[in-house]
This record gives sequence, structure tokens and C-alpha cells, in this order.
Amino acid sequence: MTIFLTAGSIYLVFILNEDGPLRILFNLLTFAGIYGLAAIGLNVHFGLTGLLNFGHASFMGVGAYVTLLLIPHAAGREGEITDTGLTFFPALVIGIIAAALFGLLLGLPAIRLRGDYLAIVTIAAAEIFRLLVRDLESVTGGVYGIINFSESLQIYKPEFLINFSERFELNSSQMWVGLLSWISIFIVLILLRRLTNSPWGRALRAVREDEDAVRALGKNAIWLKLQSFMLGAGIAGLAGVFLAFNYGSLQTTTFVPLLTFYVWAIMILGGVGSLTGPIFGSIIFWVIISETDRLAQLIFENANGQQLAGVRFILVGLLIMLLMIFRPSGLLGKKEELLLDVKSS
Amino acid sequence: MLKVHNLRKRFGGVKAVDIDDISFEQNQLTSIIGPNGAGKTTFFDLISGFTEGDEGKVFLNEKNITNSQPFSIARQGMVRTFQLTKVFDRMTVIENMMFSGSNTKNDSLFRSLMKLSTQKNNENLIREKAFEIMKDLNIDHMANSYARELSGGQKKLLELGRSIINDPKILLLDEPLAGVNPKLAEEILSIIQKLSDQGITIIMVEHNIEAVMKISERVIVLAEGSVIADGNPEKVRKEPKVIEAYLGSGNE
Repeated sequence: MTIFLTAGSIYLVFILNEDGPLRILFNLLTFAGIYGLAAIGLNVHFGLTGLLNFGHASFMGVGAYVTLLLIPHAAGREGEITDTGLTFFPALVIGIIAAALFGLLLGLPAIRLRGDYLAIVTIAAAEIFRLLVRDLESVTGGVYGIINFSESLQIYKPEFLINFSERFELNSSQMWVGLLSWISIFIVLILLRRLTNSPWGRALRAVREDEDAVRALGKNAIWLKLQSFMLGAGIAGLAGVFLAFNYGSLQTTTFVPLLTFYVWAIMILGGVGSLTGPIFGSIIFWVIISETDRLAQLIFENANGQQLAGVRFILVGLLIMLLMIFRPSGLLGKKEELLLDVKSS
Repeated sequence: MLKVHNLRKRFGGVKAVDIDDISFEQNQLTSIIGPNGAGKTTFFDLISGFTEGDEGKVFLNEKNITNSQPFSIARQGMVRTFQLTKVFDRMTVIENMMFSGSNTKNDSLFRSLMKLSTQKNNENLIREKAFEIMKDLNIDHMANSYARELSGGQKKLLELGRSIINDPKILLLDEPLAGVNPKLAEEILSIIQKLSDQGITIIMVEHNIEAVMKISERVIVLAEGSVIADGNPEKVRKEPKVIEAYLGSGNE
């Protein structure tokens, strides 16, 4: 059913775009890969450990900013190239670690808070991060952002991808970012599958169920939660880096709360607590986001662009509502492990 | 074994716990009774580290555990259960047991990522032990069911099993018979008796007076946070203050 839905939504792309469906499809799949990766990170927080994190955008932001500042880049109004001598992959590793450490830093005071209180603190921390980055113009380029960094990644672009892209008139740089994000999803999922089936994953689920019982049984719930927070933040950091490379420039406006809520929507669509759920959730989400304009155009012939833009969110909202009514565990979530109990209790 | 000295806790104007000195002997089955609001659960919260006291000290085996973290107290061999059963609903019964049986080293992120063979061996040992206990408690046939599918009584059994898998020295049971049908209550009582015979020191809060009088070696009566009677069941039963405060004089 899930695979059918996903295939159906991809098919929709082909129907709605008679000229150049491949280009649109791969653009969409790149976004889906990046956001899916971020949603997998969020699922570690919420699905596995029960942490309400509404500041996911900031983890993505930390990963992106730290990585980009370490590779050759141009920041700010003047836009001179600065270079620390690091190549992409070591910088990426440092970026991921930085995102995880940001998770630790935020977690140390905040992780003791329960449920909704943690949500409030994370959303505030994410805004503080964004405003700080905006005002630290000498380092981060402020509102002018960071540009001219793509080369560090594109030099690794494999030959076959360039040939493939030329043949189908695709953007090979974007294809490379998309491919890398899907490879990352694959690797991250293999690691997470190991972890969730392990005693560590079991301990996290116990924390999700009842923290007091965990403490009463001799386990340090706070340390477990911090570990989960760091792991999910690291994955988000990785997604943030790919997001920056996909845009080709890094702007503070990318990491607004809306990004966090996109990732939440994807996780809920795919199934909270399901490992592979976010992948399907992400593809379907992005088909809706990118194709509703055309879909709405068919229905409302006289609508202008602004009106059409509203329709996509109506559709996303409608889809989530329908899902919550008929399949509250999401597309791939297990019914027995239903986490978002919206109807009862 | 467990000593409490000058333990006090207030909630606003209400004196929840006000205990001068109590010590619990090794291998004794002690029950704490008292009317609702007498401070029994607060007393448990204080000695198990879930609530910080206003003053006073708690010693476990001569070691000061006042204001220690709950998990560190549990690791030192004093494990508690809760009045409202706290099983991990969306985990299976065997997972509930094995989580409790596993230690921090076995749970570690690194070991789990590496899938070390030592961890696998550990897990097998824990699983065996968990099944042994579940068999004793007669919940082994539910091993692969989600804990939330259990009946109230079975949840109590699971919680009990979960707390004894690491061979605690002291077990704090908060109303182990609450909401359990009489037949199962009998069963749980005999399990508690058996655990006591095995050498575990048990301190239990319970409202079922008949049950308490039957199996306890010592009964402590709390009222408004203070100890008003303390001794063997026979002695406590005859104490006038207890009859007045708790057992009820109207029936006589």
C-alpha cells in the first residue's frame, strides 16, 4: 500500500509534466532524500526516544554552517574566498560532530524537561541559533549568506553521473547531491537498524515509555536521552550540509521553523517510529509540494500563483488529517507501537 | 541494612513525612500501612531518590544515599515498584524483562553498534534468566505480547519480575496488590513470601490489612507522616492509636 502510494505519486509527476518529467522528478527526489534524511534523524529523537524536538532546523543549520565554513567558501557582502585547507569529507565529519555537540550543549540543560517543555526550549534555541548566525556577519556572511562552496563537493562527481545527466538534460550537480543524500540514507538506515534492534535501542524505547521506571531500574535515563539527542542531531547535520549544496548558497532564511515542521510532517506521514517510513513520507510529501501547483491549476483555472501556493498546504494538511483518522500510525508505523495517539486518551 | 534518620518533607503547609529514626533489618518483611495521605509513598520516593527531602539522611548498608540519583540507588541494590504500575506498554514482555536485566555496559551505544559477540552472549544469559523468572511468575506464555495487552494483575507480576531480575538486596513494593483480584493477590503474596525466604529484604506499602498481617514480620503504621506504631503484627493490631487512626474503632 505504501509502495503503491509512493509509486502512484511518482507516476503523477509523469502525468502532470509532459515535457521534462525526469528533470522535475530528480529535483524532487533530491529534496526528498535530504528531507528524508533529516526526518530519520528526527525519528531517532521522537520515534525512538520520545523527545519532542521542534528545533530540528538548527541541527541542520549547525551541520551546514560548520562544514561550509571549513571548506573554501565566500561569505558576506565582499565575497572573498576564504580557505582553511580542509577538503569536503573531513569538513563534513567535523560538521556532523559539531551538530551532535550542539545537540549535547542544548540537551545538557534542556533534556531534563518533559514533553512539551522540551519542545518550547528547542524551538527557542533554534531561533536563537538562526538569529545569531544572521548577526555574526563577519563569520557567517549574515544575511548575505555563503556562496561559492559547491566546487569542493563537485570535484568528486563521478564520470557516469555527468554522462547520464547530459543525456537526459539534467543538472549533474544536483544529481550528485541527490545521489549522495540517498547513499547517506542507506548507510544511516543500516546503522540505525543495528542500533534499534540492540540493547541500546531497547533502552531508548524504555525511556520513551516511562522514564521513572527506567530510573527505578538502575538506568541513567538522562544520559540515554542525551545520546539519542546527539545521534539524531548528527544525522540532521548531515542533511543540512546536503541541503546547502543543493541550493548552492547558504542563507539563514533556510533554517526557519518552517523547515522543522516540514520534517515533522514527513515523519508523521511515513510513520513515527518506523525506520524506513520517512523515506516514503518524504517522497510523497515532495510530490505534493511540487505538483500541487499544476494539480490545482487543473481544478481552479483562474487562480493566480499566490492562491495556488496556498492550495499545496491545504492538501498537505488534508492528507495528514486523513492519515490521522484512517491510519494514525502513519504509512509504515506499527499499529501496536502507535505513538501519536490522537483519537483516544 | 537501611537506616533513616530525621527524615522530613513538607508540601506547602502539609507535613508529608516526619520520621525520626527507623532502621530496617536484613531479610525482614516489613509492611508500612496507614490511611491515605499518611506519607507512605512519599517515604518511598524519599528513600529511593525520586524526591528530595527537606532534611534528614538515608543510609543503605552504612553508605549515605541521601539525595542520590534513583538509578544509582537502584544499582546499589534497592529497587522499587510503583503504585500505578509502570510497565513499558509498547514493548514486549520479554523486552521489559531484558531491559531491566541488562546493565549499562551491555546497553552501550558502542557495543550495540559493533554488535560484539560478548553482548550477544550477555543477551542470551539475560534472556534465559528472564524466562526463568517469568516462568515462576506464570507470565512466560505472554513473553512476546506487548505489555499493554496484559491484564492489570499480569502487569503487576511483570513489574515485580522486572525488579527482581538483577537480584536486589532490598525491594520496595508500593501497593503490590492494588487492583488485583483475590486469587491473583494470593499468588502475588506467596511470591513475595518466597522472595523474602530467598533472603531479599522487603518493604511494602499495602492497604490490604489481612494480607499485611498474614505475611509481615514487622508492621509500621504511619499517620500524618509520623510513625505511630511499630512492631510485629500482633502487637500493632492491639495498639489503641492504630485502631483509632486506621483500623477503625467503629466495628468493635
